[in-house]
Amino acid sequence: MLTLLSMFYYICLRRRSRSGTRGEALSSRRAVESGQRATLPISVEVEQYAKEVLDFSSHYGSENSMSYTMWNLAGMPNVYPSSGDFTQTAVFRAYGTWWEQCASAPLPFRRTPKAFHSQDYIELAFEEPVYPTAVEVLETYHPGAIVQIMACSLNPFSQNPPTDIRWEVLWAEEPTKVLTPQARQFSPSIKQLSFPTNLIRVEVNSSLLKYYTELDAVVLRGQKDRPILSLYKMPRIDICDLSDSDEDLSDPGHINLGNGYFDKLPYELIQLIVSHLTLPDLCRLTQTCKLLHQHCCDPLQYIQLSLQPYWARLSDTSLGHLQGRCTLLQRLNLSWTGNRGALTLTGFSSFMNACGGSLVCLELSCCHFLSEPCLEVISQTCPGLQELNLSSCDRLHPQAFTHISKLTQLRRLVLYRTKIEQTAMLSILTFCIELRHLNLGSCVMIEDYDVVASMLAVRCRSLRSLDLWRCRNLTERGLAELAAGCRLLEELDLGWCSTLQSSSGCFQHLARNLPCLRKLFLTANRTVCDSDIEELAANCPALQHLDILGTRMVSSSSLRKLLQACPKLLLLDVSFCSQVDARIVQELCGLFPNVAIKKSFTQ
Amino acid sequence: MYGENYLLNVFVTPVGSPTWGACFLMCSKSSVADGVGGWRDYGVDPSQFSATLMRTCERLVKEGRFTPSSPVGILTSGYYELLQNKVPLLGSSTACIVVLDRRSHQLHTCNLGDSGFLVVRGGEVVHRSDEQQHYFNTPFQLSIAPPGAEGVVLSDSPEAADSASFDVQLGDIILTASDGLFDNMPDYMILQELKKLKSANYDSIQQTAQSIAKQAHELAYDPNYMSPFAQFACDNGLNVRGGKPDDITVLLSIVAEYTD
Repeated sequence: MLTLLSMFYYICLRRRSRSGTRGEALSSRRAVESGQRATLPISVEVEQYAKEVLDFSSHYGSENSMSYTMWNLAGMPNVYPSSGDFTQTAVFRAYGTWWEQCASAPLPFRRTPKAFHSQDYIELAFEEPVYPTAVEVLETYHPGAIVQIMACSLNPFSQNPPTDIRWEVLWAEEPTKVLTPQARQFSPSIKQLSFPTNLIRVEVNSSLLKYYTELDAVVLRGQKDRPILSLYKMPRIDICDLSDSDEDLSDPGHINLGNGYFDKLPYELIQLIVSHLTLPDLCRLTQTCKLLHQHCCDPLQYIQLSLQPYWARLSDTSLGHLQGRCTLLQRLNLSWTGNRGALTLTGFSSFMNACGGSLVCLELSCCHFLSEPCLEVISQTCPGLQELNLSSCDRLHPQAFTHISKLTQLRRLVLYRTKIEQTAMLSILTFCIELRHLNLGSCVMIEDYDVVASMLAVRCRSLRSLDLWRCRNLTERGLAELAAGCRLLEELDLGWCSTLQSSSGCFQHLARNLPCLRKLFLTANRTVCDSDIEELAANCPALQHLDILGTRMVSSSSLRKLLQACPKLLLLDVSFCSQVDARIVQELCGLFPNVAIKKSFTQ
Repeated sequence: MYGENYLLNVFVTPVGSPTWGACFLMCSKSSVADGVGGWRDYGVDPSQFSATLMRTCERLVKEGRFTPSSPVGILTSGYYELLQNKVPLLGSSTACIVVLDRRSHQLHTCNLGDSGFLVVRGGEVVHRSDEQQHYFNTPFQLSIAPPGAEGVVLSDSPEAADSASFDVQLGDIILTASDGLFDNMPDYMILQELKKLKSANYDSIQQTAQSIAKQAHELAYDPNYMSPFAQFACDNGLNVRGGKPDDITVLLSIVAEYTD
């Protein structure tokens, strides 16, 4: 009834506005007429900056810092409209495809929907819930990473949160290339929302960017009152809607009408056809007929399962429905799922108990529902686990990590931004001797990285990649032991490790001992000098990625030697290297066109 | 303010806000105390360090990332943030931070180096900061040294700053200044000038601050005047007379009742 009334008002107003250009003589009559109608309330438009950053998947800066960290996205802009690489902005950990090219990168999951591009996210809370009319993101460096903006029905500041939480997509698009690195105000046209919101989620994909994107602020514009004039639009059926209502077709009275040509196709062929469907389609197809139900529930269709694209709608019930089909599951991606009560220990344990037996890879990035018992369950149900990703699970209690040492087959372990402590770390290294890829970036609770390096050198001799980004106290002693013990090391990230001094000879020693080196990050190590670069040139012909941001001690001559000696070099970051100015960079780019030479700027 | 060596900022929170009261930050660029030469010998613009330190401390204060009762935290965090900058900063700076907590009527101070503050009540100095020097003319300073020069360039940790907290009363005058003032004007001369301060309005405070700075500037260039700096030099065995030409910055404030 209300909808009809609103439509009636809407049509009347449209008629009136069309006749607005008539003469003055009519105006008095119109005024009388309008006086007799009910006056419509004028809705106040509210403009807000983000009040608080609630959650995010990664950032460039240090955990206790206000430089290049995600917390800078709250509040008013500090840099916009200037462009450049500034400390007061929010910067994600990676950009481009450089990290995907590394051996430490996980293989992509099959059945990832084409519409899912998100690599990182950030969730922001605003003061007042509004019906959004616009969301503006102030991007101050290498814009263009934003691929999705979503709104939540939950008020994060409310004392009594409701049990059903809805996320709606306000805007989504695939990544597009933006040609300039200059600042811009990004304000896409957003969908109308049927509920008020003060919780916004921005998802990004930086793969097309030439350098780190930097965000300064997010503005939420909206109306406090539900807009009356707009026709209520039926929400279109979201393709990512994971059907919760797939029930078994177990009605015995159903007459079998035959499945047409499907009856003639061999089993394996139907399996092949069905293997191309995305998960929601697979679940919907289950409900069509008994034959396709059998095919769609065949555990062979669930060897790999990625639930990350459906994080907004995944619940214990969904896991429960999928459980029966996942007995042969080898690779499971639950990254970003389960937050705000969507998944619980019960649902997770039940699923792992049913499906953990053959599990080889488990992605649990940003899974804040995880608790110590969950990790215990993993250690008990997944004896063959080789890959475990707990990236940004920063709410996980340090005690939880002790269970990981039971996973003795582990080859890839990601603990970026977790609170793992020294004892648990050493315990893991004692037992998980098959480790090939280890990520300890921003693990601030580990007290002595020299001891960790020493243990790696003794126990994990097959190590291929090691990420020690921002490890605060690794010295030349630890590095020397690492180089001596882990001779197969190909990737080493020592970015922002300020305690390493080139004068100790540690980088030269590293170059001489690691001939397989493909990636070396010495970001913001102010002591890297010409001799280090020359030693790399002489000993590491396989070098592909090198980052020496922020040193004053490297000149163009040693860089030339490096570029000549390392034909496979693809990435060279010389940002803020005072001896390497823009002119030299341009010259080197001309001489070595296959190398992406990065030179960031502040103004 | 005479000279450009000193940067200072004043923050006052609005009345009714639940937080502190006022915060004065002073960071001065300092010379490299290595006996060899200045920062320019290393190819470094000496003002970039103190300017960035000041901006960083300012940001910390504006965003409320500090404890009013512990201003040394601003210095520690500010210095830490300088190290987080992608730009390879070099240089050194002294610092003096004074925070007035209007609820507890307390002044929380932190001083690293030879800037300083005075609190004057009823014509008498009731509190003053201690000058921090390693040896003659070598103040404590925060610094980031070029690689290799760490042993040569003086670098004090923020924790080496002198911290003090004390009660203040209505009518107390707080004077924060660079070493250029204290080196050239003894306390009794400063007090004489402060006696001329009749009312607590902005213009008279401004005038008094300027006259103090001006007087110190004149004394600095007087070759026969026995300045506190010269006195201290003589005490250290150096036969010196006259003022000490230097950058002079004076910040004057009065603890007053807020009137709308």
